[in-house]
Amino acid sequence: MPLSEQGRRRLLRCSEILYLFLIAFSFYLLVLSRTGEARTVWEVLHPAFIPVLLVTTFLLIPILLTSEKTTYKLLFIIVHSILIHSLFSVIFPAGDLSGQQEALGKTRLIYDNAFLHGAGPLPFRTLQTEIFKRFSGDNFQAALSVIFARMLSIDVIWVHLFLVPVLWGVFVPIAAFLTTKTLSENDKVSVLSALLISAFPYATYFGAISVPNSLGYIFFFFSLYFMLRYIVSNDSKITALMLVFSFFALLSHYLTGVMAFSLLLLAVAFKAYASEKEKSSRNARLPLVIAFIFSTSILPLSLIYLRFFGAFQTSLTLDKFYELPLEEIVGLFSLGELTYAFNLKLILLVFIGSVIALIWMIYLLYCLRRNPHAKFRTLVYFLFAAFLIVLIDYRILKLFMTGLPFGEERLWVFRDFIAAPFVALAIYAVVSWLQSLLKAKSPPTITVANLKKLSKGNVLRVLSLLLALNVLIPVLLGGWITFSLSAAYPQVAPLQTTWYELEAVKYIEENTKEKYVVISDIWTIYAGEMIVGLSNPRAYYFSGSSKTGHDLFVNMTENPSTQWMLSAMNYTNTTVAYFIVTEPRLGTEFNSVVSKAKAPENKLIVFYVSDNKKLYVFGYREG
Amino acid sequence: MPSGFQLSEVETLIAQDQKFLFTLASYVITVVIYINLNAFQYAVLGTVAFILYFLINGIFLGHAFFDKEDTFFRLMFGFLLLIMFLGFVGWLAVIIYNLDVARFTVVLLVVATICSLLNRKVKYRSAT
Repeated sequence: MPLSEQGRRRLLRCSEILYLFLIAFSFYLLVLSRTGEARTVWEVLHPAFIPVLLVTTFLLIPILLTSEKTTYKLLFIIVHSILIHSLFSVIFPAGDLSGQQEALGKTRLIYDNAFLHGAGPLPFRTLQTEIFKRFSGDNFQAALSVIFARMLSIDVIWVHLFLVPVLWGVFVPIAAFLTTKTLSENDKVSVLSALLISAFPYATYFGAISVPNSLGYIFFFFSLYFMLRYIVSNDSKITALMLVFSFFALLSHYLTGVMAFSLLLLAVAFKAYASEKEKSSRNARLPLVIAFIFSTSILPLSLIYLRFFGAFQTSLTLDKFYELPLEEIVGLFSLGELTYAFNLKLILLVFIGSVIALIWMIYLLYCLRRNPHAKFRTLVYFLFAAFLIVLIDYRILKLFMTGLPFGEERLWVFRDFIAAPFVALAIYAVVSWLQSLLKAKSPPTITVANLKKLSKGNVLRVLSLLLALNVLIPVLLGGWITFSLSAAYPQVAPLQTTWYELEAVKYIEENTKEKYVVISDIWTIYAGEMIVGLSNPRAYYFSGSSKTGHDLFVNMTENPSTQWMLSAMNYTNTTVAYFIVTEPRLGTEFNSVVSKAKAPENKLIVFYVSDNKKLYVFGYREG
Repeated sequence: MPSGFQLSEVETLIAQDQKFLFTLASYVITVVIYINLNAFQYAVLGTVAFILYFLINGIFLGHAFFDKEDTFFRLMFGFLLLIMFLGFVGWLAVIIYNLDVARFTVVLLVVATICSLLNRKVKYRSAT
């Protein structure tokens, strides 16, 4: 018996309730995985989490292909997206050990009003460095985190850790939906695209860490959406919104800002082309080609001109071609950084989405070549050109530039944003093709009685198609999204900031009234920056790149004495100094350093010992 | 989950902002946040105030810039623009001086005022 409309609605509601239950259960499993001492999320992730997430995603895909309200579908995707971007923030006590901890260090300074006119001091001050510092994305993100923390009356660490996972989880699927909707005018493809953006490992990783660049990606994605709207409409409000989102992409991070303005220029050229091509197609193409070349060159050139602000020493070079063997250059050209840690599964997960997108773009361009009046032709051409710009810029940065202030792989997130709509279009085309095939091969209503009337070959075909549509495709997509997490979250990492490092730093802060300085390894510096801020003159932790701080720590581990403590105090104009050593960071040397530091002739006092005896804080007070 | 009808009724009520009732509510919420921050530091009170502030001003901005979109997208765009406004005015405060509790409160008041004025401008434009 085929299901009635009411029966279908009931089945849909049951699936949705089950989905929400599984999402809640996944969050619960994530909270159970929380730990104070781990290297990667995979070490401590609850064994049931991945299977439950797989089932949850598998259940979500058929819901997206039903006639359920788009709003509900998007809400389901948003919850799913927040879940998969929260692994670092929920599992580790201080989030991922990366730039996000440094960003928190700067945010903490603004939260505690430790500095005026923006986060952190500069090693030297000129007008240009001052401008760069004030306009750097750190201040924008810090302002946002501080405002939320004060509004909610909670510590800024919580807001910082969840700022990007939540904003990304909410707004990136919406941006993917809207971009795809502009391109296809199909709600089902668009919701599929909103979900599929989670299948791109680099996008997932940047959605899981709270750094200014991640915020910039969110604004970039919306500016890309408004660029598409701008190309097909003459509404001045759309133009204004396109400019506003591009400006915020720039305010968050110069990489996202420069990319947004590069593509904005291309969008203007495409709009001009669309209106000019009627008069003379050949004449209209020339500005388009010039705009493409100019847009491609903006990012590499802008990185070089950042020298003007005294910020970086980026330059063009051919050194890699002289120094590296040919196979390495070919590897870097095709696979980028992945060529060094060659792992086929990882490569497949990172590239499969963009390869499908590229193939589908070429297919669409082939179909549209003889139809100049096709509705979405200009948009497909624009996105294809934007995709090419990202691919070319990545190769320029990777092979022809040196001294870059960030990993070139960050460009892959732009590529993923452009690719997701085309992957959704390709998958939806396959699903539609299978559905039409099923309609042609099967009776109007598929029942056991009706199937018995068909020949054996046809029954087999119909059952295979049903299996492919209802099981194989959801399993493949669910599996792809779930297993891309294994590429998004690192499999190898140093020990993350531990609970006892955070406790020690808090203990020092709460029990010291004077200005103090801390000599420690780089890992404890990260913990310190999170609690008291980056290079806070009242509670000073040497920055991770400070040679003085590094030398003082090495001297203290070799010969713990008040001499180095005094030297640190003189350097920072403080009256109290602390020396922190941790067993997992120092390894076999830990016991000997602790016993040497405890020796009475060194005049150091044991200020704090963690409960598990893995961390010691030694103190020294002047006079 | 609230139905689209109920949500749009709430949205219409707030967007109309008769006698600046919801603008005043925004100011009152800001004062509550300021008092909470200085005196009690209750996260629950902060969360409630946060939600109300976002709801009112997000709806104002959504109504001002995205009146032709569906309710859900209007709300989402309103929230996103509000986050951007808060970040921008907060960033200005940071680079000009700092973002202590007093200046943070000024940021909230400034953003609430801008949202209300933008909403009003659209209201008058659609009325004429």
